[in-house]
Amino acid sequence: MKILIVEDEPALNKSIVEYLTSQQYLCEQASNYRDAQDKIESYDYDCIVLDIMLPGGNGLQLLQSLKKSGKTDGVIIISAKNELDDKIKGLSLGADDYLTKPFHLSELSVRIAAIIRRKNGMGNNLISFEEIVVDVQAHTVSVNNQPVILTRKEFELLLYLVINKNRVLSKNTIAGHMWGDDMDMADSYDFIYAHIKNLRKKLLAAGAGDYIQSVYGMGYKFALR
Amino acid sequence: MKLLDKYSRLNITATILTFIIGSCTFYFLLNYILIRELDERLQAEQQEILAYVNTHKSLPDIVRTKDQFTIYEQAVAKVNTEFTTVKLKQNNEQEDYREIKFSLLARDKYYQVTVGTPLDETEALLQVIIGVTIAMIGIILLIGFLINRIVIRRLWKPFYSTIESVKNYHLSEQQTLKLERTDIDEFSLLNQSINEMVDRIQQDYGSLKNFTGQAAHEMQTPLAIIRTKLDTLMQNEAVLEKNAQLITDIEKAVHRLSRLHQSLLLLTKVENKQFLLNEKINLDKIVTDKYEEFGEMASALNLSIKLHIEPVAQLFHQQLAEIIISNLLNNAIRYNRPNGEIEITLNDTLLTVSNTSDKGKLDSTKLFKRFYRDADSSDGTGLGLSIVKQICDMAGYSITYSFYEMRHEFKLNFNQS
Repeated sequence: MKILIVEDEPALNKSIVEYLTSQQYLCEQASNYRDAQDKIESYDYDCIVLDIMLPGGNGLQLLQSLKKSGKTDGVIIISAKNELDDKIKGLSLGADDYLTKPFHLSELSVRIAAIIRRKNGMGNNLISFEEIVVDVQAHTVSVNNQPVILTRKEFELLLYLVINKNRVLSKNTIAGHMWGDDMDMADSYDFIYAHIKNLRKKLLAAGAGDYIQSVYGMGYKFALR
Repeated sequence: MKLLDKYSRLNITATILTFIIGSCTFYFLLNYILIRELDERLQAEQQEILAYVNTHKSLPDIVRTKDQFTIYEQAVAKVNTEFTTVKLKQNNEQEDYREIKFSLLARDKYYQVTVGTPLDETEALLQVIIGVTIAMIGIILLIGFLINRIVIRRLWKPFYSTIESVKNYHLSEQQTLKLERTDIDEFSLLNQSINEMVDRIQQDYGSLKNFTGQAAHEMQTPLAIIRTKLDTLMQNEAVLEKNAQLITDIEKAVHRLSRLHQSLLLLTKVENKQFLLNEKINLDKIVTDKYEEFGEMASALNLSIKLHIEPVAQLFHQQLAEIIISNLLNNAIRYNRPNGEIEITLNDTLLTVSNTSDKGKLDSTKLFKRFYRDADSSDGTGLGLSIVKQICDMAGYSITYSFYEMRHEFKLNFNQS
């Protein structure tokens, strides 16, 4: 899976690349308009992470020329501007998603995964981790081919954990994904705990391994022991 | 008091005073002149009588005419010549007369002679003059009044049109201020000054708004870096093991800063009227959606939510409507008591959100102020309600807070500003 990160802030660009590389993506970087243009014209990417404000031009123009040349690269816009107009404009120009800074890397990775899934069509609806298989299309989960009944929130949580497997996810990050950044954290912490507890119970009961690990009281990690 | 009225009042007072003083002076002067003329006539009469006595050595016969009488009286001694004004009764009417009294010596006897002439002619003349004066005051006042009413009102028209334009001017709507041209120097100076001032303000306002937008953008990027670096740092388990609490605290602070920042930005945008209220929004749908979204959390906290909803469509803005409802609902959950209750009522005119609580009445004067927080809670940004208030103000809705039976209630009225 090849991903192009177009972001002029070197520190941010580096973080994104490191995170996505650790998730087995192949990442390339561009930090200005011309670099990005060259790379987009010369190669095909599964997904492009695109900042709007770039030295030398506007990211939306890149998006426009990309769509004009008939390329099918998935595009997720990351912008500091939480302007509704920008969002609508970006999406109407053919972007697949829009994420406002500051975002969590795990959130970005979930969105990228969703875009790539959608792009690759029906075949890639199944995400698996050991004996657990998540069907994104049908919203079902099975352990050892036996279906497990999960609530909507539990399903979302499991999908998020599986996509960001082997990563430490803070409670705050999880809350941001589940209920949006507007939710107050103190309220949601107990809540996350309750959901995690239920999810773990259901997975264990279905015969899956205990993959949800609590990390020093600050968050969780979905990984093999 | 209007300038015009104040001016007129002053003007009329001055005019009346001038006329009173002027007429008095005129009256006395005229009176004096007329009397002197009479006196001269009487003196001439005296000379005639004296001359007659000198030549004929006897008193002249009395010829009584309508406007003159003469009386001779024997006197003991010589008297000084003097003029007097007296009232005499004649034909049952009091009349004023001017008299001259002098003495003369005829046939070795002193006589006191009185020659009188009536004053009624003089008085008639004075009456006419005073009448004319009063009529003139009246006419001048009337003309002054009419001039003030019609001409001055027209002269002041550019001033009022300027005031009207300034009143209708809204900085945030980016309109240009159009002031009527006028050929009156004072008003065109006023218009020019106002135009210059508005230009300056608009520039300042524009650069401030630009600054807010840019500052927002510039702040988001470092925030994004901090957040992603934290995410990365968290993956290092050796670091995490020793610093879990530290990292959690930093993350909380970043989260709060980011939310604070978003809220301030939203407030600024609402204040600048950057949202157009031109969508037909089904508020009942939003309430139901939010109810589902928050319902899970409410039930986790053992709160029961009662809904009384009618279908309501308002010309509003989707995002803002969601913000209002989720902010109110969020507060109702956060400040509730265990096993408490939340009640949401929605109809054509009202949206009411009330919740049970252990906390007493809140200070309703400060409640909607920015960064107002209840003493016991520090989680929130302190901006939620002020955002709600700001949006309501912009949309022309009113929002009120009341407290009864240990319930906090927020009532949003769609029809009233």
